[in-house]
Amino acid sequence: MREPLIRSTEDRIIAGVCAGLSRHLNVSVGIVRVGMVALALAGGAGVLLYIWLWLLVPTAADEALAAERAFNPRDIAENFARGFGASGAFRDGTEQAGTPPLRPVSQPLPQPGTPAPNVEGTGTRRLLQRGGKEILIGAALVLAGGAVVAQIAGINLPWGTWLPVLAIAAGAVIAWMQLDDSRRSGLMDRAGATGAQGAVRLLAGLVLVVAGIVTMVSGSITWEAMWPTLFASLAVLAGVLLVLAPWVLKYWRDLETERSGRIRETERAEIAAHLHDSVLQTLALIQNRAGSEQDVTRLARAQERELREWLYRDKRQEEGNLVDRVKAVAAEIEDAYGHPVDVVAVGDAEMSDRHEVLVHATREAVQNAAKHAGGSISVYVECTPGRSEVFVRDRGPGFELASVPPDRMGVRESLIGRMERHGGQARIRNTGSGTEVHLSLEHPQEGTAS
Amino acid sequence: MTEPIRVVVVDDHAIFRSGLKADLDERIEVVAEAATVEQAIAAIHEQRPAVVLLDVHLPGGRGGGGAEVVAGCAALLGETKFLALSVSDSAEDVVTVIRAGARGYVTKTVSGAEISDAVQRVAGGDAAFSPRLAGFVLDAFGTAAVANVDDELDKLSARELEVMRLIARGYQYKEVAKELFISIKTVETHVSSVLRKLQLSSRHELTRWAVDRRIL
Repeated sequence: MREPLIRSTEDRIIAGVCAGLSRHLNVSVGIVRVGMVALALAGGAGVLLYIWLWLLVPTAADEALAAERAFNPRDIAENFARGFGASGAFRDGTEQAGTPPLRPVSQPLPQPGTPAPNVEGTGTRRLLQRGGKEILIGAALVLAGGAVVAQIAGINLPWGTWLPVLAIAAGAVIAWMQLDDSRRSGLMDRAGATGAQGAVRLLAGLVLVVAGIVTMVSGSITWEAMWPTLFASLAVLAGVLLVLAPWVLKYWRDLETERSGRIRETERAEIAAHLHDSVLQTLALIQNRAGSEQDVTRLARAQERELREWLYRDKRQEEGNLVDRVKAVAAEIEDAYGHPVDVVAVGDAEMSDRHEVLVHATREAVQNAAKHAGGSISVYVECTPGRSEVFVRDRGPGFELASVPPDRMGVRESLIGRMERHGGQARIRNTGSGTEVHLSLEHPQEGTAS
Repeated sequence: MTEPIRVVVVDDHAIFRSGLKADLDERIEVVAEAATVEQAIAAIHEQRPAVVLLDVHLPGGRGGGGAEVVAGCAALLGETKFLALSVSDSAEDVVTVIRAGARGYVTKTVSGAEISDAVQRVAGGDAAFSPRLAGFVLDAFGTAAVANVDDELDKLSARELEVMRLIARGYQYKEVAKELFISIKTVETHVSSVLRKLQLSSRHELTRWAVDRRIL
């Protein structure tokens, strides 16, 4: 199969036309380039052909961008399949309701727009890295040298004509390169990062072209006649600009609208995909299990938690810190026992080995509450610099530590013993309307992440 | 306690409104319902209820939701109390509506009895704090703060901190009172004073906390 005609962004001297052409025609690049130069010498036909191809043939990045535009966010099924490999497990499972929906949080949807800009951005940089600039300068110097040699050899070059023409050509090339670059990344993106550089390039191109034209024209008219003429042309230019400005503006706005529309579509698709993966599945499951009240409540709680996490996640809260871990523990036990566990957190702390102990003890306490007390369980985490505390409160019948037989290892060993071994404290008390476990950990040297 | 408390329920979901009406006990009489910001403001001005049960997220108006309703009824704040009711946990939603003038905040998942208690409390001029709201307060004001006269508005007193901590730990008002050996009335006074601070404080830290969460 023949390669499509695409300008190369890697192997290029001016705009990658020859390299692209060679790949398309399956001919060596050198031959194409020599042919192009030969054509250029034949009355400038090659130059015209080159410019024509430059304008009409897209680059690889252009193609990628076009493919991205063709990406249809509404086609959730396909995009979804792209984003997630297997999602079948959830449909069959009944007990896994808590786990699969968590996946989108930890593993966000791949955004369709992200890979393309990377490809685009590297084009110019790669050219510069490969010394493309040096090659260009070298070529210009060789040309100049050749011209000087020709001059010495006695061939009379009409410098007065050639220099301005060269200046105009150089200016146009610089300006066009700029357009080429910016067009590829959608005109807007570059405004922030390389805007200054782009402006300089554009200005340099403009100055070169204007200087060239002025020099050329000044050959045929006197300097006295020059200024009124210049003034008149400026006036004409301003008039044309005045007429064209609304069109340009309109085009610009259309482009912006289209862009923002596309972004919105992408966002919407992401939300739709998420809802599909989690909420719709859970709703279907709830309909299936409508008979069992406990299952329905459990599913609803798990789904609520997951959706909440997705919607209201505190952006500053670091993943994997103490609060995050305690919430995960609470969610796990809520799923396992079907009793709601509410976590309220103030501050946060980075995890350490001793915090790991605190998390384990918290799990033990919440589990005890879910097992023996039932009902809703409140967990309160408070982290201040140097101190982390966890309160686990239930509204069960309550129990006295003294009444627990010594052979029961659960509370004594995994709560009190473990906390104390790691320099913490665990206190269990009967509040009269339930039990409260208070775990505290002092960590003078470690900072908090709140 | 003979007169039932007149309540307006504002929520854009008819199912939730009817469910809530069925759940509220006999001390409370629902006199009107509203589903949008405009309807709510009109109904509240017409009925002059004692309490408005207000969803934080509402369609209509300028998109301000519950906070906009409170702002639209600012002239009535003396006689009408607002109790925010939401499924949302986000600090933005909660603190915005509290700072607009609501007297309390409860989540929609709590039982009818608890909501009725909260309505009762708000109607009596007190504040209704959920554990989560207490958590936000502690987060915003800091957990190590004792007021002196200068920054009275900007920090919580030791007692207020204790009360907030207990509420955050899941204690109800009467349990807090028992725990601290004070009367329920005193607990309510402390909570009301915390609410006032939350509404009025322009403390630098509070502002920054709010800006971090894009609230103000």
